[in-house]
Amino acid sequence: MDDSSVSHHNGGQVGSQIGVSVNNKQNEESSQSVQYSIPGILHFIQHEWARFELERSQWEVDRAEFEARIAFLQGQRKGQENLKNDLVRRIKMLEYALKQERAKFHKLKYGVELQQGDVRPPPEEPPTEPEPAEKAQWKQGRQLIKQYLQEIGYTDTILDVRSNRVRTLLGLNNEEQAEDPNYRNNDNKFRERCGDSPINSLIRKYDYGGKEQRKGGVSTGGGYNEEGLSVQETAAVFANFEFLANQEMDMDEIDDLDANKPHHAPPKQGEEVDNEAEEVLNVLNLLAESEADGGGQGDECPVGVVGGGVAAAAGGGEADEKPLALGELAQLTVSNEPEAYDVAGANKESFRKTWNAKYTLRSHFDGVRALAFHPTEAALVTASEDHTLKLWNLQRTVQAKKSAGLDVEPLYTFRAHTAPVLCLAMGLPRSEECFSGGLDGTIRVWNLPPPTADPYDPYDPAVQGPVLREHTDAVWSLACAHGRLLSASADGTARLWAPRAARPLLCTLRDDAITAPHAPAPAVAADFADGEAAAAVVYRDGTMLLYDLETTQSFLRIACDSPANRIRAHPTLPLLVSAHEDRHIRFWDLGSGRCAHAMVAHLDAVTGLALDPNGLFLLSGSHDCSVRLWNLDTKTCVQEITAHRKKFDESILDVAFHPLRPYIASAGADGLAKVFV
Amino acid sequence: MADGTQILRRNQPGSRAKDFCRWPDEPFEEMDSTLAVQQFIQQTIRRDPANLEAILKMPEAQDEGVWKYEHLRQFCMELNGLAVRLQSECKPETCTQMTATEQWIFLCAAHKTPKECPAIDYTRHTLDGAACLLNSNKYFPSRVSIKESSVAKLGSVCRRVYRIFSHAYFHHRAIFDAFEKETHLCKRFTYFVTKYSIISKEILILPKLDDETPIAQTIGESEA
Repeated sequence: MDDSSVSHHNGGQVGSQIGVSVNNKQNEESSQSVQYSIPGILHFIQHEWARFELERSQWEVDRAEFEARIAFLQGQRKGQENLKNDLVRRIKMLEYALKQERAKFHKLKYGVELQQGDVRPPPEEPPTEPEPAEKAQWKQGRQLIKQYLQEIGYTDTILDVRSNRVRTLLGLNNEEQAEDPNYRNNDNKFRERCGDSPINSLIRKYDYGGKEQRKGGVSTGGGYNEEGLSVQETAAVFANFEFLANQEMDMDEIDDLDANKPHHAPPKQGEEVDNEAEEVLNVLNLLAESEADGGGQGDECPVGVVGGGVAAAAGGGEADEKPLALGELAQLTVSNEPEAYDVAGANKESFRKTWNAKYTLRSHFDGVRALAFHPTEAALVTASEDHTLKLWNLQRTVQAKKSAGLDVEPLYTFRAHTAPVLCLAMGLPRSEECFSGGLDGTIRVWNLPPPTADPYDPYDPAVQGPVLREHTDAVWSLACAHGRLLSASADGTARLWAPRAARPLLCTLRDDAITAPHAPAPAVAADFADGEAAAAVVYRDGTMLLYDLETTQSFLRIACDSPANRIRAHPTLPLLVSAHEDRHIRFWDLGSGRCAHAMVAHLDAVTGLALDPNGLFLLSGSHDCSVRLWNLDTKTCVQEITAHRKKFDESILDVAFHPLRPYIASAGADGLAKVFV
Repeated sequence: MADGTQILRRNQPGSRAKDFCRWPDEPFEEMDSTLAVQQFIQQTIRRDPANLEAILKMPEAQDEGVWKYEHLRQFCMELNGLAVRLQSECKPETCTQMTATEQWIFLCAAHKTPKECPAIDYTRHTLDGAACLLNSNKYFPSRVSIKESSVAKLGSVCRRVYRIFSHAYFHHRAIFDAFEKETHLCKRFTYFVTKYSIISKEILILPKLDDETPIAQTIGESEA
């Protein structure tokens, strides 16, 4: 059977072969007649056929290879094109961001119009940039980028092209292309590259690339550099990027995992990978990591370097995983951008050297005793001797005066105290509550109306929360931390409250050293210290006591010549800062109880103290009508602002930092509160 | 508080309630603050809230516009106390409209188109509106001199503010009496507006000190 089929198939050839032989009849006969030659012929034919088959399959393999190569090159081209579009879009976006940033900066600097959330529609102010539209446009832009990043991440299997993209980015493309023809497949490509170029130069290249990336990262942060801002601001931008990098660490870890593969993959494939290549990979990883630490915004690209290396080394097998990872990464980057924007703004502001008066809050009929910013919003509450508290939304300015300042009308007036309101504390973020203490001895809990409320809405009794009445005299100080409230009163006690509990009074802190016949000195001020485990209370006689809040016993007593008006705990260090009637600000070491530093800070009694949330700056207010900003590190005055007029012998009664946003504020006996930006 | 020769008139943190603002009077001539008039008025009231003559006796060479303005500020501020008391009793369900006698329904002018707010809302909105107007940088940019055109604004504030007294008097008499006993605010206000002829006598519907009969009103709605 086998034989016949062979003879049928290869009749022509057989014929020619046997033409030499003696018998010239039919195939069968000749095969029978030429005894010797037939097996030989068959063998020969079989051998030849097998050879041709082999060749054919080889050609087919070659063809497949070339096809793959064509596909690869086409993919590469597509990738280049995408990259080009991508970069063009990026440039456009950055230009736009820069423009926006400049506009914003201009506005902040010259105080034309700050907030996008302003009620006033933009068309009223044609000369300025359309601020309210900004957000929408940003959103649109982000959407667009997200879209195209997804497109790149998901639709193309051009992940091995990533390396090229990056090299293009780094200006190394020509070299790459010169090497191109040498490649047989991806494995070789990587090996050859490592082999061809000395490690050092490679490292240099990638190092260079890293720098380039970093530069790119900075320029993403808007036009700060171009606007000639200080090193500090740049540092702020970097700080912001560090924050970003932290968030992206997860992604980097994923990529590191992928990046580990090339160490093992090439040996598995039986290719010889010399030590050099390994080293190069290590260097790449290192670079990528350092990039992730310091580079921030440019993270996508260094990852691309590693990812590209992976794809090149391990071949197409990776292609399925990588798009996903990068897709996620892309999303991550995009979703981070608005935050980056905000934080960059905030940092930039807080590092700014000069604060300028921007808003004047006039609506109180008498001196403003205390103020506190909303934990997140551009809003604040003021407490006044006219028995009311008022809520202000800085994003709803009512009338822009010709001069620099903006007037704000109060959003809400809190009425319930029957005497001057003396102190104020803001609740936790999102709790939307605040607490006030008054000369009437009550502490009141308030539910803040939403920032969109209309001042002339119907009266809602739900704004009033519980009332804490245990104090028997004026409540002069309130501090709030994690839902607990600390109050200091002229009745000589400090009390700890859980304001909304059924039994709100948690404990009463008394000075045990004072025995019955003597009335305790009035408590002036109190603040949480030592991570809310302790309370620092100052008294009118100059004593300062630290209470353990677990045992309610005092564990440290500090005596000072001059009574303090305010006490504040440093947000990060074991340090207390007190403002004194004798014009001093004193710093106390929480561990030893020693005075770490004392300075004459004002020309008159120091009345207000506030520390910025990072603990770098101190704000003080005094009856000498000035607000001073201090660098806590050097204890030097950074800025002085004359802010309020005198009523009798009182002037500034309180100062505050916004916990998140770049606002500071002062409250004065003249019935005004001022906000500086 | 006295520091040798120098008297510091300030409320130090930690002061007891009874010591609040308890410092020796300062002669008006020696007050050099821009808030001198307010200081003087508050000082006189603190001395004796019932002594209307003394409180409303304008110092010589004082600008009358500023004097009236500062007094009105003080009235609005002290009216917060009445509003606080009313908040606990004057509910939108019971006092659905701002009325005093049955003859008038007062419309709340705080809105774009005056509307019939419940009494408590009218009270709050009127006080909030007055606070805004009296602190307006446009009309009252200074507290030492006031334009004539701005002084004219005081009249409408006074008219509205008076309705708060009258509502409390006719609908929440207990609150009104308790408040009046403590502050003499309505008496002082009536004396003030009469003395400076800020609002016409016909509008003063409350029986005055010695049970004057209120002047009859025509039925209708007042312009807010």
